[in-house]
Amino acid sequence: MTLDEILQSDDPERLAELPRDELTRLFWKYKGLLKRVERDTAFWQATNDNLRTAYERLDEQERELARAYQTIRQDLEIAQQVQHALLPKQFPEMLAQLDLAVFHRQMTEVGGDYYDFFRLRDGSYAIGLFDISGHGVSAALIMAYLKAQLVQTMEQASRPKDIVEFVNSATLTFLREVRRYATVNFVVFGPRSIRYVCGGGYGALVRGGEVHTFNKGDPFIGLRRRAYSEYELPFEPGDVLALYTDGLVEAQDSGGADFSSRRLHEIVRACATAPVDEILQRCLDDYNQFRRVDADDITLIVLRRRG
Amino acid sequence: MEVGGDEPVVHGALMAGFAQACVNLNIVAGRRATALLADLDVARWYPLAKWFELERMVGDSYSNVAPIRLKLGVEMMTLWYHRGPGRALIRRGADFLHFQTGSNGIASVIRGPREVVGSFDLAEFDEARGRAVIHSTTPFDRKIECGVLIGGVLAPGDIDYVDVTNDGDPNRLVVEFH
Repeated sequence: MTLDEILQSDDPERLAELPRDELTRLFWKYKGLLKRVERDTAFWQATNDNLRTAYERLDEQERELARAYQTIRQDLEIAQQVQHALLPKQFPEMLAQLDLAVFHRQMTEVGGDYYDFFRLRDGSYAIGLFDISGHGVSAALIMAYLKAQLVQTMEQASRPKDIVEFVNSATLTFLREVRRYATVNFVVFGPRSIRYVCGGGYGALVRGGEVHTFNKGDPFIGLRRRAYSEYELPFEPGDVLALYTDGLVEAQDSGGADFSSRRLHEIVRACATAPVDEILQRCLDDYNQFRRVDADDITLIVLRRRG
Repeated sequence: MEVGGDEPVVHGALMAGFAQACVNLNIVAGRRATALLADLDVARWYPLAKWFELERMVGDSYSNVAPIRLKLGVEMMTLWYHRGPGRALIRRGADFLHFQTGSNGIASVIRGPREVVGSFDLAEFDEARGRAVIHSTTPFDRKIECGVLIGGVLAPGDIDYVDVTNDGDPNRLVVEFH
């Protein structure tokens, strides 16, 4: 009878039948198992101690992350307030000539869409709509930078072409350094017309039931130094102008189709006689029904020349 | 990796065995483990300093590292025997003590000046009493060496009990096996 046979039989009573050498083997087997358990216990104890230390470090890192997150949240809230403060307030003189409705929504606390109203040296009014590449604080800072450049430029030029070229020249080096750019849509209101410069922006004028789409072939601000083209369109009482950013028309439905400029223009054309607030709301209702998710900052400005 | 002629070096197979044991025992995990294994070439020699880096990586992670190092040594030899060439080289647990202290053992995975790489010699061997004494002056961690001896002796499965102690003289490894 051997130890292995007894162990296979599951009958401990038969241990008494073991010869001396097999009993000795049982003794060492048992001691060997104890030794293994001892080594394994020490290993697991050390591993457990290490885990405890790791969890303590993790807790501390989590607390640090929470503190950092809190700081970032506070900074973002301030950035949001600053950005809101940079956007235009009411412009009564301008509203005497124009009905105006604006929708502006950033994807995050701060964003890259920027619009502003200006009074030029010759007394005319202008609207600028810009879409700065990227999102977040960096885009908002560039927005503040662009605004400062625009304010300076207004004192030196009145033609939209001159204004945009001046701003592009003044910001080109910096924007290239930070690898950012901005679409531009700059519209100056004359007594019976508008003059505009459009580099990558979006605009449409509805007049007599027809849609005149902005020519947006000029370069974005911050890409290259070159002359911009200026265009003129009649803009008389009753005519409707819509300016917007790509976040609106590039939003997709669940099938991957774009909302599209064509769809937006058709809504504006179809309800061109309605109050501008209503035109804006109809566009947004259709957009909200169409799009699957919001993917970008959105700005939509609708204006009508008053009689 | 190029190494100079007089520079102490260790074989990539040893490094890889150690690294794999670290991964198996979850001593390093995730991306660190992947990076650790990906960087090692089992056919090359590495500066001894690289081995110390590996040892330090384990040491830095644990407040009580001795049981971990012991277990790593055991795991290395388990891998060597069951997934490497070990099974073809030794048949009995006691043979491992001769093998490891011979020219194909530790001496085959470390090279360099004698005063740096040291030696790993079987000073006493009494199979009837189940006792052996090894004198080690290698630069390797002694706890890992204890684990290597335990793992190597246990791997063939014919030894029921083994323990290695180095109390007193740290370079004197006393092996008890039955």
